[in-house]
Amino acid sequence: MKWFINTWRTLNQPAKYLTLGTISLSAFLMGIIFWGGFNTALELTNTEEFCISCHSMESKPYQELQQTVHWSNHSGVRATCPDCHVPHNWSRKIGRKIEASHDMWGWLMQTVNTEEKFEAKRLEMASREWKRFDRDNSLACKNCHNYDSMKWEDMSKLAQKQMKRAAETDQSCIDCHKGIAHKLPEMGTSRAPELIAQVGAGESSLEANSSYFTALTKPLYFNEKTDVEAGTLNIATKVTVLETKGNRVKIGIDGWRKKVGAGRVIYYDFGLNILSAQLSKDAALEEGVMEVFEQKEDPMTGLIWQRVEAKIWTDADYLVKDLQPLWDYARDTYTNSCSVCHTQPAEAHFDANSWPGMFQGMIAFVNMDQDTQALVQKYLQEHSSTFDKSAH
Amino acid sequence: MNRRDFLKGLAATSFVSLSSASVLAPFKALAAGTMTNDDWLTTGSHFGAFKMKRKNGVIDQVIPFDLDKYPTDMINGVKGLVYNPSRVRYPMVRLDFLLKGHKSDTSQRGDFRFVRVTWDKALNLFKDSLDEVQTKYGPSGLHAGQTGWRATGQLHSSTSHMQRAVGMHGNFVKKIGDYSTGAGQTILPYILGSTEVYAQGTSWPLILEQSNTIILWSNDPYKNLQVGWNAETHESYGYLAQLKEKVKQGKIRVISIDPVVTKTQKYLGCEQLYVNPQTDVALMLGIAHEMVTQNLHDKKFIEGYSLGFEHFLPYLLGESDGIVKTPEWASKITGVTPEIIRDLAKVMTKGRTQIMMGWCIQRQQHGEQPYWMAAVLATMIGQIGLPGGGISYGHHYSSIGVPSSGAAAPGAFPRNLDEGQKPLFDNNDFKGASSTIPVARWIDAILEPGKTIDANGTKVTYPDVKMMVFSGNNPWNHHQDRNKMKQAFKKLECVVTIDINWTATCRFSDIVLPACTTFERNDIDVYGSYANRGVLAMQKMVEPLFESLSDFEIFTRFAKIMGKEQEYTRGMSEFDWLKKLYNECKADNAGKFDMPDFDTFWKDGYVHFGEGQPWTRHADFRNDPEMAPLGTPSGLIEIFSRKIAQFNYDDCPGHPTWMEKSERSHGGPGSDKYPVWMQSCHPDKRLHSQMCESEEYRATYTVKGREPVYLNPTDAQQRGIKDGDIVRVFNDRGQLLAGAVVSDSFPRGVIRIHEGAWYGPIGKDGSKQGGNEIGALCSYGDPNTLTQDIGTSKLAQACAAYTCLVNFEKYQGKVPEVSSFSGPIEAKV
Amino acid sequence: MIDKQIYATPMNQGRAMVYRLLSSLFAKELDHQLLHELTSSQAQAFFAQLASDPLLAQDIASLNSVLNTLNSDRALLELAADYCGLFLVGTKHSASPYASLYLGDNDVGDEVLLFGEQHQQMKTFLQQSQLMVQSEFPEPADHIAVILAYIAHQACCSDDKTQQAFITQYLHAWLPRFTDKVVAVDSGNFYAALARLTQAWVTSDCDALRAS
Repeated sequence: MKWFINTWRTLNQPAKYLTLGTISLSAFLMGIIFWGGFNTALELTNTEEFCISCHSMESKPYQELQQTVHWSNHSGVRATCPDCHVPHNWSRKIGRKIEASHDMWGWLMQTVNTEEKFEAKRLEMASREWKRFDRDNSLACKNCHNYDSMKWEDMSKLAQKQMKRAAETDQSCIDCHKGIAHKLPEMGTSRAPELIAQVGAGESSLEANSSYFTALTKPLYFNEKTDVEAGTLNIATKVTVLETKGNRVKIGIDGWRKKVGAGRVIYYDFGLNILSAQLSKDAALEEGVMEVFEQKEDPMTGLIWQRVEAKIWTDADYLVKDLQPLWDYARDTYTNSCSVCHTQPAEAHFDANSWPGMFQGMIAFVNMDQDTQALVQKYLQEHSSTFDKSAH
Repeated sequence: MNRRDFLKGLAATSFVSLSSASVLAPFKALAAGTMTNDDWLTTGSHFGAFKMKRKNGVIDQVIPFDLDKYPTDMINGVKGLVYNPSRVRYPMVRLDFLLKGHKSDTSQRGDFRFVRVTWDKALNLFKDSLDEVQTKYGPSGLHAGQTGWRATGQLHSSTSHMQRAVGMHGNFVKKIGDYSTGAGQTILPYILGSTEVYAQGTSWPLILEQSNTIILWSNDPYKNLQVGWNAETHESYGYLAQLKEKVKQGKIRVISIDPVVTKTQKYLGCEQLYVNPQTDVALMLGIAHEMVTQNLHDKKFIEGYSLGFEHFLPYLLGESDGIVKTPEWASKITGVTPEIIRDLAKVMTKGRTQIMMGWCIQRQQHGEQPYWMAAVLATMIGQIGLPGGGISYGHHYSSIGVPSSGAAAPGAFPRNLDEGQKPLFDNNDFKGASSTIPVARWIDAILEPGKTIDANGTKVTYPDVKMMVFSGNNPWNHHQDRNKMKQAFKKLECVVTIDINWTATCRFSDIVLPACTTFERNDIDVYGSYANRGVLAMQKMVEPLFESLSDFEIFTRFAKIMGKEQEYTRGMSEFDWLKKLYNECKADNAGKFDMPDFDTFWKDGYVHFGEGQPWTRHADFRNDPEMAPLGTPSGLIEIFSRKIAQFNYDDCPGHPTWMEKSERSHGGPGSDKYPVWMQSCHPDKRLHSQMCESEEYRATYTVKGREPVYLNPTDAQQRGIKDGDIVRVFNDRGQLLAGAVVSDSFPRGVIRIHEGAWYGPIGKDGSKQGGNEIGALCSYGDPNTLTQDIGTSKLAQACAAYTCLVNFEKYQGKVPEVSSFSGPIEAKV
Repeated sequence: MIDKQIYATPMNQGRAMVYRLLSSLFAKELDHQLLHELTSSQAQAFFAQLASDPLLAQDIASLNSVLNTLNSDRALLELAADYCGLFLVGTKHSASPYASLYLGDNDVGDEVLLFGEQHQQMKTFLQQSQLMVQSEFPEPADHIAVILAYIAHQACCSDDKTQQAFITQYLHAWLPRFTDKVVAVDSGNFYAALARLTQAWVTSDCDALRAS
């Protein structure tokens, strides 16, 4: 079964990181395995009945759709789920089918089977769809709504002006028309939705003794059951999965700590203030949690640092195999957000220990949630002159 | 011949073809550009948010924004900016540059012949120049990184547009730091773990409630809070009014440590402590020494929250250098009596003391030191992280100290290329030179390419810059030493400037492009700066005048020439962008702050977020320094920085140190020749050089049409100068004329000329044509004619304009016309 | 209603041509097309006729002599630079072509804002005549080229008294100050001659209109 697990895992990654070859081949295999006939299956999966047979749609998005003009209008032409959510271009369509296998996992895991769970995930799901529309330049819309066939004279002056401009550049419809078929998500309540949309919510299964990276700042727990928090695990931190139990994993965090206070803070490496995890006082003192190895004095501060490994529990979600998508997101955010007032300095302009001071002193005008802030700071530190010797 | 025959004869020539060139056309109602809407429209500026009404399509009335309870009268100058006779009206090119391109006679720059060209021609010339520089020299030949305050607005921000468009063409040299806080923002991350200068500070309500003593150290918030980085709404002034009341009631003692009586001191009616210019570090050392000897310092705080006090102590006590930093020692340097120094040590350690540092004090040689030493004092007092205690470096800036609403602000048009986009010249080879240089060292770089200097722990090698691009930026105001700049500009092959009015920078350029003002375009901004009180619609008041264009339009056209229009705009118009920025902001605030749809917002003119919660700087660090460490190498306050010490800089050692300046008044070096210290602080009636050109408003503060120079009465009398006289201020670097304001707010040996006074050079012989001469006389009073262009130290390499000695005399010559506020004056060939 | 055709006499047509010519020369730099027109035989005949007035002769000669030297792109550019320095860049040290900067009781050296009262007034006049400033000429309506073009237009459709009153109040009142400035600042000869010619012409036209 190992080949199957591997395939499954591959397929669960966003299509962005797969080659078209892998997608097509895997799609072909999947088709045979699940439905016996590829094209038959493809057709079957392109009907609304198929969608709502699994998607918990009777309650939410399907009902919302029924309130909109895309459901009921003068002409009686109605948009069905696949009209918008399945690309019409063949290779895109196959890609989307592969992505959709993620949905199956969600269905099995009952990710959004209650209203609360659905609302909590709504933005993440919507962001993913918006991104897809953007990628296709809203092709799904344009199959029915053609710029060339629009009757300008029936539009208001303002609409005319804006639509004409959009038509000139064949602008993607979703740029302006969000929340027209389903409710617009509450955009500010969930954590780092765009980040999650880009890097995903974590691997679907975790392998013991493998390394992963945190895709969000995560709570730490004393054991596999308790809700008592034992500290926080910083974003983009490398951990080793030691043991899995239900929705929890026991992880190992390697790093260094300063020999000050209770020694609760674990850093990435000796002498580098790159935050990995912060334990509560109780956790730091708990038997078996923190193992201490050799110690050295940091010549830059005179502080004593100790190498440590912490073994502690966290939730099984938001652990990803690949760090690069996180860095990609951080680089994008840094480049866009930190240039609002001035030219942003190159990553390698400062060293790892200077970046926190520079970054913290400049973020007053920048909109970043806590997770993104922590991620960008870490990105800057790990791409600073401490690591990148090429620039100055 | 009689008139009848004469005229008939004219008609008989049938010379009529010229009619095609008529400047008149049949009247069309509501023709493009005709505005009939006479409603109040909303907009904003660095000077404040405000509302405007038009009359017959022309801006008529300007009144403050409803929520601005303390507006400044600077908004009265806005009309004078828009309808200024020295608007850059059309794209223009210096004639010799048009004829000879990169081989033109560059010594002409400053005042010479320009010709009007079409936008198409101008932008193609711009691109051809970039092509030439990228081909011949690569990215190190181009510096498009000198950027500054721009006008407000998140979409049309001039520096973002210029850098995105030029960046789509090729790479270029960039800057690090800025002229305002260069030394501070470099040293403080090592000491307090953040730039501090640009960080939100402890909220005024907590300071008013908790502080017993406030030390305003070289700090004039009442003057400087008038302007803000975003549309300002001046909430700070309400708190200053409360402070004034508390001072009156004797509940809070405010001491202004400053050589001059500041505007704030006069407003608050508080105490002043005079100190000799540039000697503040010595005064601080004297106070620290008294604290240690009297055992007033908080040893527990020092132990728990800082590092390296033991390495600093031997210096303080004279064990390391043989000089004990006693109040008596400090007194000789600072002019402050030992008794007062001793008393200050007591006052500062008794009750809750908030130290508020201004920025001027770090714009001097060794400007890193007073900031560091003040942090050490605050650590010794032990109140960092307590409400109303500790130290701040920004309470005079952009509403810092007004509680932040906590809402998300709108984003901005991207300055950088989008992910995956590549420049036309995709070359990153800077030929061994640095791609980023300290902001204030660019003139040095032009003059000495290839030279390597120390800067903040690294080596910077100056690139060989051949072309500069400026947009919404006027370095011929903010850089030091005009004569040195003239030498440097002769070495440049091409200079491009985009601005609204003819600044000196425009006159020293080859290609000048007309941008419209903020009020001729639609935009969106935060109001309340750091307090982020809401989002403001900046509604277009009038169509762009003459052939000026918005920055968005200028660079969209430029991108089109490169074949990158779609990449540049992402296919979106001005309003598409505004909606996108607004809707993204709305999404970021969803669930926290209600924002209406865009159309409602645009109609209302603003969305208000309300007041935020009071907050204490560094409180989390104080509560748990282990979990909330500072951004310093150790996570603690670094009184001694091993990191700085290992750089081995003679002008910035491992702990705060008193060092003599290259020029210092009151008995210091150079004071025998030039006995007077000139301070060139931020203006009271402008934002840097913005608004200086607005004539009617300028007339409210000029003296005989000149920038005021503030003089001590005795100093003036000794030189036979009366209030209102024209004064020549001079040193070996330059000379200027200014109008005397004699005031006992200024001590002997100290004069003030506000920076931002537009440069208007005239020939040494008094002729108007001589702007490009070395040694020219500034006819209006630009203090940077006199300042020195040196770095603060090897650490920050920042602007050190405050280390400047001059002398002055009553001007006896023929008084020349002011030449600052116009286009180039042609030199007769 | 008086038929305005009655004003379209050959005399007034001649006057209109002069005003239109002056307007064109102040409106923008000389380009090849305009130069070609100005050196055509028709134009030369027109100039010759103008020069028959001794008050105008010298300036016509100056203009013509400059026109005769404009036989290269370089020469045209130099003339364009003269135009730019005079009319496009600045204030006190140039000869801005706006009535508002010369009218009124402001001191020499005082700056008056553009698009002010004079601009509004001219806009109103234009509108009354069903006219407006061309969109390709994005200048305030008190630009000398607009005022001259307006007078050219009025020449054939209003009576002498109305014309005389307008010219006196809105052009002749500030023309001498403007001319002095042009003559003082111009680094070539063309625009100085043009300004003097304009002033001489307007003065004599005013006198004639008053006398008629």
